[in-house]
Amino acid sequence: MNGAKPDPITLAVTRGALHQIADEMDLHLIHAAISPIISEMHDCAHGIYDAATGETIAQGGYGLPMFLANMQYTIQNLLSHVAAEGGFQPGDIWIVNDPYLSGSHLQDVTLVAPYFVDGEIFALLANTGHWMDVGGSVPGGWAPQAREIHQEGIIIPPLRLFKRGVRNEEVVRLILANLRLPEQIAGDLAAMTQVFHVGERGLADLIGRYGTRTVRACVEEMMERSERQMRDHIAGIPDGTYRFVDHFDNDGIVDAPLAVEFALSVDGTNMHLDFTGTSPAAIGPLNMAETTTRSLAFVALKHLFPDVPVNGGTFRPIHFEVPEGCMLAARYPAPVCGYTDVINRVIDVVFGALAQAIPEITPAAPFGTTGVTTVSGRRDDGSYYVAVFPYPGGYGASAQGDGLVNGTLPSSLAGFMSVEMSEHRFPLRFENLAIREDSSGPGRHRGGCGTTYEITALKDCLVSVLGDRVDHAPFGISGGGSAEPNRVRFHSGSREWEPEMRSKAEKVPLAPGDSVRLWSPGGGGFGDPRTRDLDAVERDLDQGIVTPECAEAVYGAVVERETNLAGAPRYRLDRAASRRRRSGTART
Amino acid sequence: MENIVGIDVGGTFTDLYYADDEGCRTTTKVPSNPRDPSAALIHALQASDVDPAATALIVHGTTIATNAIIERKGARAALITTRGFRDILELGRRDRPTMYGLGGVQQPLIPRDLRFEVDERLDARGEVLRPLHRDEVLALGTALANEGIEAVVVCFLHAYANPAHEQAAARWLAELDAGFEIVTSHSVCNEYFEFERTSTAAIQGFLQPLVAGYARRLRERLDEGGYRSEALIMQSSGGVVPLDQVAARAANIVRSGPAAGVMAATRLAGEAGFDNIITGDMGGTSFDVAVVVDGTPKVARASRLDFRVILKLPMIDVHTIGAGGGSIAGLDGAGILQVGPESAGADPGPACYGRGGTAPTVTDANVVLGRIDWARPIGAGDQEALDLEAARAAIGDLGKCLDLGVEETAEAILRVVNHTMAGRTRLLSIEQGLDPRDFTFVCFGGAGPLHGAAIMRDVGISRLLVPPEPGVLCATGCCIADIRHDVSRTVERPLGELGDGELDDMLDELRRTGEAHLTASRQQDVTPDVSYTADLCYFGQIHNLRVAIERGWSAERLGGAFEAAYRAEFGNTLADVPATLVSVQAVVSAPPPGRVVRSPGDVVARPATPARRRPVHFGAWLDTAIYDRRALEPGMSFAGPAVVEQADTTTIVEPGMRASVDGFGNLQVEANS
Repeated sequence: MNGAKPDPITLAVTRGALHQIADEMDLHLIHAAISPIISEMHDCAHGIYDAATGETIAQGGYGLPMFLANMQYTIQNLLSHVAAEGGFQPGDIWIVNDPYLSGSHLQDVTLVAPYFVDGEIFALLANTGHWMDVGGSVPGGWAPQAREIHQEGIIIPPLRLFKRGVRNEEVVRLILANLRLPEQIAGDLAAMTQVFHVGERGLADLIGRYGTRTVRACVEEMMERSERQMRDHIAGIPDGTYRFVDHFDNDGIVDAPLAVEFALSVDGTNMHLDFTGTSPAAIGPLNMAETTTRSLAFVALKHLFPDVPVNGGTFRPIHFEVPEGCMLAARYPAPVCGYTDVINRVIDVVFGALAQAIPEITPAAPFGTTGVTTVSGRRDDGSYYVAVFPYPGGYGASAQGDGLVNGTLPSSLAGFMSVEMSEHRFPLRFENLAIREDSSGPGRHRGGCGTTYEITALKDCLVSVLGDRVDHAPFGISGGGSAEPNRVRFHSGSREWEPEMRSKAEKVPLAPGDSVRLWSPGGGGFGDPRTRDLDAVERDLDQGIVTPECAEAVYGAVVERETNLAGAPRYRLDRAASRRRRSGTART
Repeated sequence: MENIVGIDVGGTFTDLYYADDEGCRTTTKVPSNPRDPSAALIHALQASDVDPAATALIVHGTTIATNAIIERKGARAALITTRGFRDILELGRRDRPTMYGLGGVQQPLIPRDLRFEVDERLDARGEVLRPLHRDEVLALGTALANEGIEAVVVCFLHAYANPAHEQAAARWLAELDAGFEIVTSHSVCNEYFEFERTSTAAIQGFLQPLVAGYARRLRERLDEGGYRSEALIMQSSGGVVPLDQVAARAANIVRSGPAAGVMAATRLAGEAGFDNIITGDMGGTSFDVAVVVDGTPKVARASRLDFRVILKLPMIDVHTIGAGGGSIAGLDGAGILQVGPESAGADPGPACYGRGGTAPTVTDANVVLGRIDWARPIGAGDQEALDLEAARAAIGDLGKCLDLGVEETAEAILRVVNHTMAGRTRLLSIEQGLDPRDFTFVCFGGAGPLHGAAIMRDVGISRLLVPPEPGVLCATGCCIADIRHDVSRTVERPLGELGDGELDDMLDELRRTGEAHLTASRQQDVTPDVSYTADLCYFGQIHNLRVAIERGWSAERLGGAFEAAYRAEFGNTLADVPATLVSVQAVVSAPPPGRVVRSPGDVVARPATPARRRPVHFGAWLDTAIYDRRALEPGMSFAGPAVVEQADTTTIVEPGMRASVDGFGNLQVEANS
């Protein structure tokens, strides 16, 4: 402890300055990186961390949400390795991409640098950036058939990339020799190390103004206040244990469901998240390291309490039990590159449990599958292309209102390709891109609809799909219904067929005229659909979002008459008869 | 005599700037009238005593388009699309309203039950895969005619590559003479990316009937008042368009006021010798910041007006944060002082307005610290004096929670809000790869000069420029803008495929289109300025770079310019990857008639004499010199702490800074090093 509490003005200014430093680090890498996945998709994160505890002091606001707490846990995992090798020295930069320590997948490479003031360590600066290739059996690193991590790429254990200011060129050569895009990634690596100067300059300014004692006191005060703020939120949740179970369809190799068992306990101002009972690691790559499981749980909580700041204090009241070796705490050598779909279910089960406790702010399940659709082949001029179309989908409804249509993943901010641009660049044709009618989870507030699109091949190509949520639809809460589940169909010649693993298929060949059609899930509903406002039901009918059959059977509405405008049906509900039908049902 | 009136109709105030050969004659601020914006405009003219008969030109910026979008008070419009794609407008590009929190509502400008599909399809080269059928369009149009539809927007896939289907649909719909306006997507935004184009066309359709009505009413009012002068409307690109053409360009006038401010700041700073500036416009509710490099404001190619309401038209790139004089100070969930983004607005306004507001605002902090003279207020309507005690009470209540005194709390509010504005200013320049310390800061708006010195210091900028009439600078900007037309087309072809003369043919066609618009603006007797740009990318990239180009360039020259720009932006090139020419653009512009050109006055170095002195709080109460801006002449200088007062704003010069008046009457403030 550093004695006196900081004055409120210095506290406000210091907090702003620390966030500004982290934001500036984000923007510098986004600007300087060569790989578009960093410069355009912002697949990176930066922050300032406590040197002793690894706790987050500040993290930039431009990186992806999924790194929210991942950075802190990565650094905490790194600390013992560093200590065993003599601790941090001025000018060192450590590097790691071992997913069992640093989470997510091999492509996310983390650098950590100590910041010293007058010979004493003050804080750690860290960043994570997505490398476009890490070797392995498949370019880009996503290997759907991987059965162990070595098929996914090169593992970098915690190593000193810089020792007292000098880069270890031999380590760099060894790493780059194992990658398919060595020049591009050498550039990204240089950009990632340069970003530390931005952070160092910012910290030097701040400490020059207030001194280390005051800045440290502000950091402690910020953490304590964030902790109090998080504890206040938790105290507002009724004590108890809330259980929820959800599933994955299969791991893409063995057709058997995988369970995520979850119990969320609230005891005063503490929260305990227990994943005991979750399926053991899958044979295929549908696994995830514990670091990322924890981070995703915080992403879910941050969606519910967006006002809590991102620092170590926020994470203190939350305790985890993730059994080692289960699919959410995978151990070497389990493959993890399918974590892109696993992340969704962590968010789903947190929502599913908390909906029992605080339904007033918890949304129903969002569409819940990353559903990466990859098309590859050759253009007329012989050049090779890879086109990636990730799933959009519906968000769950909440007490506040209907769910959003065409949302992006809750853990991401990445967008969808333009149809016109795709048709310019790839020999593909979109038959449609539309709201998936009659797919929302019904409720007093209904979920957002899914999205449907059909892609026709103009030349021979290969299509891979990695999705989920076919057998287990996104759930509703507080009496709301489930959304329509995921659906994938191929059309080859005159034959229409579903992949054996439903929404997982690898390298399906399409001939010209063949197509793949996808229907992404909607979001779950909130509340009893028979209490939905009748004007809203009428509007949903006119907009084609629900069918008249559904309006009558599920929403308890009585359609009085149907007209049409230019072929589009228009409905008028009989308000009185609808109310009679709804109350009649209530009596029986 | 040449004279000109600039009027900026803002959300809270309508500002007027009147100049003739002698320079600025008068500035006026009157309350806006949200229900009838043209009434406030006439009111401002009458209040300024501008002789109707002698006014050559009236140029004005307006918020009607922006407000209609935000409040969804535009036309009942229908959308006709290619079969399979009527939902593009609602789907957007897969996103959500905020990074955290999955709630939030979406309200498409055209709801799904008014979106229709017809059978037609073009491919990416514009070749017809399925023809459009006249019967189908006519049947749909006839049905819509009976539905009270005010505008029909037609947007077909790949219409930028071949507009024939959109044009045919528009022609057939017009034959029905059904009373609705017809908008085709290619005529509003002739570029690919179907969501952005559809959204832009929908905005145009949503606004066109409203803006047409506004233009008609304004012309009638001007005629009634005896104003025979030509009227021009400010566009968000920084150029102006004649009133009788504005309906067809309704989407181009969104956020025209802030654009006018940046144009004026650019011009005034350029005259004073500063081509690299950052502008900061602080009003009652927001702080708008923009970057100008080499005398040219940065232009955004697409702007988000609301969630999934994207306008893909060139607009001066103005970034807004919720920090203004009315921003409310309070404690956040962690008990830490925070200012904004909530604002007390115009009603009830800051506590010192005495209209029932009790929340402490930035303006209250300035009053408590003596920076704004409570006894001689500006911009507070017809009030004779501000309620100092109410301001002290509001700030005192907040101070109790922080265990701070009243003045300390007020200082803390200013520090936090100044840091917020300085932080955004730094991020904006860093996002664009620029070092903010290489720039001059130009601050304006009713509250800007109160905070400019502090922002300058926080960002690390060494010079601040405060224009002569900073409180009405957006109105000033209307008077100095060119008549301007932006035209563009998508090419999307490998650079290597471009034949000899093909680029020139495309540029000539753009120039002819732009000149035709100018001719329609009755500017036949001037030679227009024409400049060209091209968007290029490496094959496969999603984002592209815009480079200035010239007629007569070969494909190699174009590729070289792209590589140089790419290297400047990213520090390297992707040498082996072929470049793609994505699109070409032209800006065709000409000065309006009757523009006033200013010449500098004689600069005689001498000290300025304060009008009076009063205590002002800068960390402690200091006896501070108060200057009257009207009495400051070129060459005069003085040291901070000082306060400069004028009818439209108050300027603060902090201790340790020095101010001088340049030949154009700008106040230049520098930090003593």
